[in-house]
Amino acid sequence: MTTVVIVDDHSIFRSGLRADLDDTVSVLGEAATVEEAVALIASLEPQVVLLDVHLPDGSGADVITRSAALLDRVRFLALSVSDSAEDVVGVIRAGARGYITKGSSGAEVSRAVGAVASGDAVFSPRLAGFVLDAFGAVAGEQAASDTEIDRLSAREQEVMRLIARGYAYKEVATELFISIKTVETHVSAVLRKLQLSSRHELTAWALERKLL
Amino acid sequence: MTIVREPLLRPRTSVVGGVALALAAHLGMRVTVVRFWLIVTALAGGAGLLLYLWLWALVPLVPARVDEATAPRRSAPVAALLVGLGAVAAIVCFSTVRSEDETASGAILALMALSGLAVVWTLLLDRTDPGRPSRYGLWVRGVASVSFLLVGLVTLLSRPSALNAVLGVAALVCGIAVVVAPRVVTLWAELQASQTARVREVQRAEIAAHLHDSVLQTLALIQNRAGASSEVARIARAQERELRDWLFTGSAPVDTDLASELRELAASIELDYAVRIDVVAVGTSHSTSSALVAAAREAMLNAARHAGGEVSVYLESTESATDVFVRDRGPGLVLADVPDDRLGIRESIIGRMSRAGGSATVKPGASGSGTEVHLHLEVTS
Repeated sequence: MTTVVIVDDHSIFRSGLRADLDDTVSVLGEAATVEEAVALIASLEPQVVLLDVHLPDGSGADVITRSAALLDRVRFLALSVSDSAEDVVGVIRAGARGYITKGSSGAEVSRAVGAVASGDAVFSPRLAGFVLDAFGAVAGEQAASDTEIDRLSAREQEVMRLIARGYAYKEVATELFISIKTVETHVSAVLRKLQLSSRHELTAWALERKLL
Repeated sequence: MTIVREPLLRPRTSVVGGVALALAAHLGMRVTVVRFWLIVTALAGGAGLLLYLWLWALVPLVPARVDEATAPRRSAPVAALLVGLGAVAAIVCFSTVRSEDETASGAILALMALSGLAVVWTLLLDRTDPGRPSRYGLWVRGVASVSFLLVGLVTLLSRPSALNAVLGVAALVCGIAVVVAPRVVTLWAELQASQTARVREVQRAEIAAHLHDSVLQTLALIQNRAGASSEVARIARAQERELRDWLFTGSAPVDTDLASELRELAASIELDYAVRIDVVAVGTSHSTSSALVAAAREAMLNAARHAGGEVSVYLESTESATDVFVRDRGPGLVLADVPDDRLGIRESIIGRMSRAGGSATVKPGASGSGTEVHLHLEVTS
């Protein structure tokens, strides 16, 4: 059973989501603003926070930065009304472990919550596509070593390509003859690069939106 | 019997204001006749002139066709004529300013009226007229300014009467004003335009924020509650996409790269079938190959028809090649089992791609579920 707090300014959406989540998830509380969310997360310490990207008094990224002290216990999963990279990369770079669109079904959200709670990253095809673009994978750039943070390794590129093509982690594993665990490791590595890299494709638009 | 009359509209190409042409067309008379009567009544007490100005102000222009320049063309060089008459008035003024004070005052006033009108005409009407040479307005205003300044100086230097001294100073002021006027008009127009643009931008941002917070959320909720491939969800999704395009792309020019073309195709297929097509595009697609687009469309249609549910489309454009993957999660198909008379895959996808110099492979999707079509096309430079 995963404990969850829902942060979204639309009460209809909160109650709708709450009703849709299956019984692997238990909702501890709901918040509508950044202030409420920060206080609630600090007092309840849920395993996962379902976080809207846009809030009336700030953004989802603000909630994460202000709860930074809890980041090793509380994991954040961004919920966005759109799946445009601009909306999402801000929260990812602030520390979210993945994102899903609000159009996703209750079962999909529950699955994503479970994945994030167990330490995995949740990547959508659109986000994988953005990552391939942002890290210059299409132009043929490739990391020389695993420690390099501004480019993706060959294996990471393959994994991202398959996710962009709509493959689930399990299918990626079958396709590449590796275990699901290895796929998850690659995805987490990519997520870490996405959060820490200072490639200008990532920093330029973050600067533009005053996120740095 | 009723007479069907042409609507009273001024044409965009005319001599002065297009009023005579409009009247002639409306009344079914020859245009020379209309012009003749206008001139006669104008000379007899000015009624024709008043009628002309009144109709000019109130009769609308013919609505512009799309392929046509919107600014009206006027063939008569009215401003040049006016400024020429002004120059005549200036000469009258020079020859009378020492002897006949009253004639000189009249001449100065006439100069002001004629040249002033000429300047206004160039600034308001000729400026947008595509039929005028680029330096036309400059010449007219130059001549107006010089005649104003000369008249002012000559009048003031020739021991004028009190009234003429005042008029002389006024003429000097007019001469300087004419030089400054175009700049002021331009500045004013720019200020107006930037203000309008700003107001529009602010309004747009406000609407976008509001719709984002309300309508888009509601549409997302509808899709969420109705299930991904239900009728309601599809309509909500189409609405969401339309609204989003309108909100965030705004008036940006429509670029026809491969990615946007595939997205449009996906959107139109989603309307017809119970399917959700996710298009992910990577890299910058340079050229659109019609064969590739057509084959991708066929692949998406097949997926929508035979599989439905979720379909993933992935487009990768590199320097050397373009790849499109269309993946569905349907019952799957084996190419050898497809009857020969079914042209969908063999002709429209594989045949088309090989004729265009590319290749297409159809194989079962990962872990044996569904089908994946891979289109590959090298970039030819």
